Amino acid sequence: MSYFRSLIGSREMRILILGLDGAGKTTILYRLQVGEVVTTIPTIGFNVEQVTYKNLKFQVWDLGGQTSIRPYWRCYYSNTDAIIYVVDSADKDRIGISKDELLYMLREDELQNAILVVLANKQDMPGCLSVAEVHQALGLDALKNRTFQIFKTSAKRGEGLDQAMDWLSNALTAKK
Amino acid sequence: MTDSKYFTTTKKGEIFELKSELNNDKKEKKKEAVKKVIASMTVGKDVSALFPDVVNCMQTDNLELKKLVYLYLMNYAKSQPDMAIMAVNTFVKELATSPMTKDCEDPNPLIRALAVRTMGCIRVDKITEYLCEPLRKCLKDEDPYVRKTAAVCVAKLYDINASMVEDQGFLDQLKDLLSDSNPMVVANAVAALSEINESSPNGQPLVEMNAQTINKLLTALNECTEWGQVFILDSLANYSPRDDREAQSICERITPRLAHANAAVVLSAVKVLMKLMEMLQSESDFVGTLTKKLAPPLVTLLSSEPEVQYVALRNINLIVQKRPDILKHEMKVFFVKYNDPIYVKLEKLDIMIRLASQANIAQVLSELKEYATEVDVDFVRKAVRAIGRCAIKVEPSAERCVSTLLDLIQTKVNYVVQEAIVVIKDIFRKYPNKYESIISTLCENLDTLDEPEARASMIWIIGEYAERIDNADELLESFLEGFHDENTQVQLQLLTAIVKLFLKRPTDTQELVQQVLSLATQDSDNPDLRDRGFIYWRLLSTDPAAAKEVVLAEKPLISEETDLLEPTLLDELICHISSLASVYHKPPTAFVEGRSAGLRKSLPARTSSGEESRQPQAQVIPAQDSLIGDLLSMDIGGPTLVTPAPAASAGLDLLSSGLDSILGGDLTTSQPAVSQTTTGLLGDIFGFTAGTTSYVAPKTNWLPAEKGKGFDVWGTFSRKNGQINMDLTFTNKAMQPMGGFAIQLNKNSFGLAPAAPLQVPAPLNPGQSIEVSIVLSTIGAVQRMEPLNNLQVAIKNNIDVFYFACLVPMNVYFSEDGQLDKRVFLSTWKDIPAQNEVQYTLTGIMLTTDQVVTKMQQNNVFTIAKRNVEGQDMLYQSLKLVNNVWVLIELKIQPGNPDILLSLKSRSVEVASGIFQAYNSILYS
Repeated sequence: MSYFRSLIGSREMRILILGLDGAGKTTILYRLQVGEVVTTIPTIGFNVEQVTYKNLKFQVWDLGGQTSIRPYWRCYYSNTDAIIYVVDSADKDRIGISKDELLYMLREDELQNAILVVLANKQDMPGCLSVAEVHQALGLDALKNRTFQIFKTSAKRGEGLDQAMDWLSNALTAKK
Repeated sequence: MTDSKYFTTTKKGEIFELKSELNNDKKEKKKEAVKKVIASMTVGKDVSALFPDVVNCMQTDNLELKKLVYLYLMNYAKSQPDMAIMAVNTFVKELATSPMTKDCEDPNPLIRALAVRTMGCIRVDKITEYLCEPLRKCLKDEDPYVRKTAAVCVAKLYDINASMVEDQGFLDQLKDLLSDSNPMVVANAVAALSEINESSPNGQPLVEMNAQTINKLLTALNECTEWGQVFILDSLANYSPRDDREAQSICERITPRLAHANAAVVLSAVKVLMKLMEMLQSESDFVGTLTKKLAPPLVTLLSSEPEVQYVALRNINLIVQKRPDILKHEMKVFFVKYNDPIYVKLEKLDIMIRLASQANIAQVLSELKEYATEVDVDFVRKAVRAIGRCAIKVEPSAERCVSTLLDLIQTKVNYVVQEAIVVIKDIFRKYPNKYESIISTLCENLDTLDEPEARASMIWIIGEYAERIDNADELLESFLEGFHDENTQVQLQLLTAIVKLFLKRPTDTQELVQQVLSLATQDSDNPDLRDRGFIYWRLLSTDPAAAKEVVLAEKPLISEETDLLEPTLLDELICHISSLASVYHKPPTAFVEGRSAGLRKSLPARTSSGEESRQPQAQVIPAQDSLIGDLLSMDIGGPTLVTPAPAASAGLDLLSSGLDSILGGDLTTSQPAVSQTTTGLLGDIFGFTAGTTSYVAPKTNWLPAEKGKGFDVWGTFSRKNGQINMDLTFTNKAMQPMGGFAIQLNKNSFGLAPAAPLQVPAPLNPGQSIEVSIVLSTIGAVQRMEPLNNLQVAIKNNIDVFYFACLVPMNVYFSEDGQLDKRVFLSTWKDIPAQNEVQYTLTGIMLTTDQVVTKMQQNNVFTIAKRNVEGQDMLYQSLKLVNNVWVLIELKIQPGNPDILLSLKSRSVEVASGIFQAYNSILYS
């Protein structure tokens, strides 16, 4: 059994980090990779990095969230194991757009088996939406047939990411 | 079963396979896949569908893979402009000192340079804005290789988005790089700046060089690679030093380049020196030594392989036309070698003739005689022609040349004989009544002539010397039999020759002349021939004496050089030495698409004397048109004109000035504004010299094709018969026909508006040009413009609406009734307050007072009075603008002084600057 486990462990999992522009995707990527907060500029295009978490290797793709780039997300859907969907909890105005983008994405055939992790990010900001509010605003109640979980995070402070990654690693290992 | 089965396939195909391989986890597999993609791309298969997958391989540490992906990007970014945006972040990461990556920017300068180079090659407008920041950093990179690559990238970016480059301050950064410590960076910055200046839309360089930067360039020159040296030298050639001292010091510093092993460096150095020598006193010792120094490098170029020799020869051809002194002692190197390729031979021959002088003519002639017995027909012909040109050029040798030609005629080799006859005709033009003894020999070969030019020449000779050839009538009659089968050139000559014969021997040739006149006028479809026939007919029937005076009038002698380039063209080409233009002997605008509005280079004016260039040019008859050209002017010139026809103004103007004289013939010279008919493009190129007509500025490019989606508009304004005309040349440089033209003018200072809609016949097909003229009225809406004569125009066609602005020369607003009564003038002058007086000095006017009066009169500026005060001529002139603004002017002219002092008074003094401009252009015209 352990033999098989190690075999599975050696395969790189493909994870996409998606979300509207300014949600904190690139910050999360580098927080996961180097464990530090880095200064970022808007991603016009993509970043791809190898992330190792608890003996699991991930190939993490962070795609730019600007309106002009969103149409190209779908070029990256195939063979995706998991999606980390990042929401700016303080951006109440655009949470609706975020919801639409999420639902639109989840309808894609290629993503039917992908595990979804929603990160209600920027929890350090005053006056932000709570996890429950984000959960509701995104209409996650209606989600069926999908392994998913929502976490509250603050990429800046490094809070909540470990829980999310723990859950994701377990979910991915269980799926195999 | 429906046909849809044909469209559904179970085969996945190559693209699908590549796609899955590109997404493979294994790096090696990925790399293999990208290699396969590049291989397919190289052989021309369309693999653009793989764009996202290839771009996804971009972020890699593997240099080989990275290079392959970049190669793919450069090729396909243009076809996937939207998707190209996905590549941006990778460049940004590689180039920017962004802390996102562990190691900040990539530590390998080669990778940074590779990234910036690729960025420049991705010609997608949408993503350029994202690339500015990384580019800015690269221009300041610590590694010179990166800076150099970035400099070139600025030029590329400028081509995609010029305004952005200017807004982002890249031009200044580029200029800073001229002072870079690394010569390679300097050379590339120079190359980029020259490229940018060249594409500047208004012809004005965007970045001016100053003495300091030039100094830095000269320092870098000694250290950089040979190609860098070429860039630097080329940009030095575009610089105009402030004075001759600076010019001299630049010359001194680049002279060592003449000894360089690279032919391109040598030629570029020659170009700079040729240009700067224009600024220096031609008699000075310095120019003398420089002239001596220029010869050896040019001679050395002739010992390279034939292709390089040819390029060198084409350039030398220009150089000897401009400065014959440089190579005057080097005749021997231009002697033809038996194993030279034909293109080198012909070019050498051309230069030999240009260098022929009394000192070396004996040598040249014996060479030419050798050449005339070679086997290559083209070469032999050219050699025979060369002998004739030597006769015309070097007077003392004429006799020898003629006897050489006679020897050649004796060989009876058909094409030699024909060629000889053509040049002998020119010799007769140059030395009338000197070599007629040979005519009988020529006549012996009459039957063998089958080329039109030779036949026409022979006929001309017979007509010209009809009185000395007993059987001239028989000879000409024999040609007449096949009149309609002859070439036009021969027909025209035959007509003229028979008329000449008739005037010389009227008694027995009446029948012949009637026959030819009826052949020419009644049975011919050729309008030229018919018109000439009618003119002769009418002349002969009204006044045979006058006809004699006209037809047998003394002809101007032809000048020594028959195929010199037109001087302004030569000057322009000198500025393009060592480029394709100098090989074609055509300005770049003639063969480079989309550069029509660019700047035309010209030689700097000599600092000491500016008027030299305006002195009348020696009479030059262009080779191809010579026959028709001088016949026309000969037939028309002379007695019918009040003033003698201007002794053939420069170059190709012969024809048009002839026509103008006809038009002006029955009008008195004082009558203003005879419309110009034939200028068109000729006018632009040769600076049309208006005979008795009002001044019309040369057409300028109002809408270049690259801004007008292929629609190219040149235009000017003229005043004819009291009306303002907008004269336009439309050219369709697009791929589709154009039609549905319409024009609108914005409100303007003088209320100019089209008096009738724009009439453009038929669709304008691609490549076609059309001249359009519209009459403008001045009753439109008025709105003051800045400057006053600014006019905004909109032209519509089936493609789009195009907007541009142009300046209306003030003189078209000068109305015909602008003459004030003397007393009114005097009282008005006093009435207008002193603060409404503006003064201006016109410089470099080489005209007499009377010429000034005439010239201004032709443009509706009327001279009210003329006084002579203490040796100065005072002119008082008045003019009225179409909006009823009166302008009074006083001119002070000192005989012999090229400066004229103008004092202008008007109630609307804001018109002054426009009027001064008009004075300037009219008097310089």
